[in-house]
Amino acid sequence: MANLTRRTFIKAAGGAAAAVGLVGPARSWAAEPHVVVIGGGYGGAIAAKYLRMMSGGKIKVTMIERDESYYSCPLSNWVVAGFRDLGVQKHSWAEAAKAHGFSVIHKEAEAIDPKAKTVSLAGGEKVSYDKLIVSPGVDYKDNIEGYTKKEYEQHPHAWHAGPQTEALKKKLAAMPDGGKVIIVPPEDPFRCPPGPYERVSLIAHYLKKNKPKSKILVLDPKDKFSKQGLFAGGWKTLYGYETPNSLIEWVAGASGGKVARFDAATGTVFTEMDQHKGDVVNIIPNQKAGQIAFASNLVEGDWCPVNKQTFESTLHKDVYVIGDACNAAKMPKSGYAANSQAKVCVEAVIRSIHGKDPADASYVNTCYSMLSPDYAISVANVFKLKDGEITPINGGMSPPEATPEFRKMEAEFNESWYRSIMADMFA
Amino acid sequence: MHHKSIRTLVMAGCLASAGLLALAGTALAEPASESMLSNTCAGCHGTDGVAAGPAMPSIANMDAKIMENLLMQFKSGERPSTIMGRIATGYEDAELKAIAQHFSKLPWKSTAVPTDPKLVAEGAKLHKSEKCNSCHEEDGRTQSAEDGVMRQAGQIPHYLFLQMVNYQKQEYPDVPKKMMSRLSKLSEKDLQALAHFYASQK
Repeated sequence: MANLTRRTFIKAAGGAAAAVGLVGPARSWAAEPHVVVIGGGYGGAIAAKYLRMMSGGKIKVTMIERDESYYSCPLSNWVVAGFRDLGVQKHSWAEAAKAHGFSVIHKEAEAIDPKAKTVSLAGGEKVSYDKLIVSPGVDYKDNIEGYTKKEYEQHPHAWHAGPQTEALKKKLAAMPDGGKVIIVPPEDPFRCPPGPYERVSLIAHYLKKNKPKSKILVLDPKDKFSKQGLFAGGWKTLYGYETPNSLIEWVAGASGGKVARFDAATGTVFTEMDQHKGDVVNIIPNQKAGQIAFASNLVEGDWCPVNKQTFESTLHKDVYVIGDACNAAKMPKSGYAANSQAKVCVEAVIRSIHGKDPADASYVNTCYSMLSPDYAISVANVFKLKDGEITPINGGMSPPEATPEFRKMEAEFNESWYRSIMADMFA
Repeated sequence: MHHKSIRTLVMAGCLASAGLLALAGTALAEPASESMLSNTCAGCHGTDGVAAGPAMPSIANMDAKIMENLLMQFKSGERPSTIMGRIATGYEDAELKAIAQHFSKLPWKSTAVPTDPKLVAEGAKLHKSEKCNSCHEEDGRTQSAEDGVMRQAGQIPHYLFLQMVNYQKQEYPDVPKKMMSRLSKLSEKDLQALAHFYASQK
């Protein structure tokens, strides 16, 4: 038996399935089709790498990415709460670009010309493409009077990881014990639906440990939020939620949670009926597709409409939009969703280059949220296309009742999730 | 009665043609490929099934039958899990089989996580004295679908440790009673030693 098993092992190892690409010549394309990817985040980094892997290196790939390094938003709330270094969140594209053979241009992509099939970059250079995958992430709206780009430095939203994350952390660290933290989540849809509530949890963890007389006031424009039952349950267990000593008070939109105005000088937020002064105010603005999507007429309303089987824009041929910027309902705007969409899109792009119709798609979202360093919850869904819409087949959230060991195991898996998905993007 | 069954027949006929129309409306796509189904696993289990996270197992090169069995056990709930049960219920049985096929064809890559030589030496002794080697042959390199024996050699050590702790706590399908009772007598340090020993076997 041992020999047989070993033989099976050797055979399988020998037949390394390096490329799952489609064989055969590309029809009416240049000898080497050129696919350009705009953005190197959870969607774009995967698109560039998997285009190379799945085509067996037969497609030329260029990534256009403004920044020299990348900070992951997932797990950046740990940094805010002081139990993770921002450096662990930092990555670059050099290793993956070298290993898989794509090139990276560190310039801002300013506009797309879908007729000429070119992308113009800051400084005037133009890059031509056969197919273009756009993964620009989100941009912010000025939905609260008095909170615009000018105020981001003094009052960081920290919804883009990096210096903003560090700035919010510093503000919390400087706050006196007994201070008030005000958090204002955005309206749906936005990047990382459970993210604001993970932030609330982990700031509560920080305060409980370091500044226990302090309070968090959440002024929410919404009446309900992602994983709400699980968050509320965890807050009860960990932070005395719904008791007189609760660290967290959450006010729903219908109960006066809607913030209309902010006075940056005094840190005061104004709701319809009331006003609250915070020692730390964290407003997370409403969101829309990244700038390039608007500059290139890829949007309908705030987001980019796409064919959900391929992620090709319904507005421009041979231009695909993946990740937070596209309307991929009912997938959430999450990192894992962008990763999964990138792979669906890459397979469709390669098939299209070979003159083939897209095959059935399969999508997954797996998303962990931390309530304390030893307590995490998750949501996991498998999706398929039904009547042109991305539809959850099954899956769901962590059980409402679970042992502390179960919650701790999910916290361990969150860190493992991070390392594997970062390696999927950057190695 | 007769009348009713005719009505049922007519109804069924209508439904059938409605179904055909729906099919005609959307061109029949090829079913999702093995890679389409499997590449989504990489977010947790790493590119091509080689995991980077300490609590996550690498799943590349796993015997197809073993993986299919595991996935079916996750789907039915027979195998305890935090999240895999929820994910597995999202797939048809044939899709789980295709995913297992996909990973079985990928090359194994042993972990680069460093191991502690002292623990490795202790683990090597336990591997023999506790008779782990009677099923986990070749220092944990063998796989056997028949006995549900998975590869541990070169697997991520923290995952191996966590999994043995799980085996101590609750019943798992494919974990024989003998193995459970032997594991239950081992200390946390013993389990760490075994984990480091297997992880060191590339």
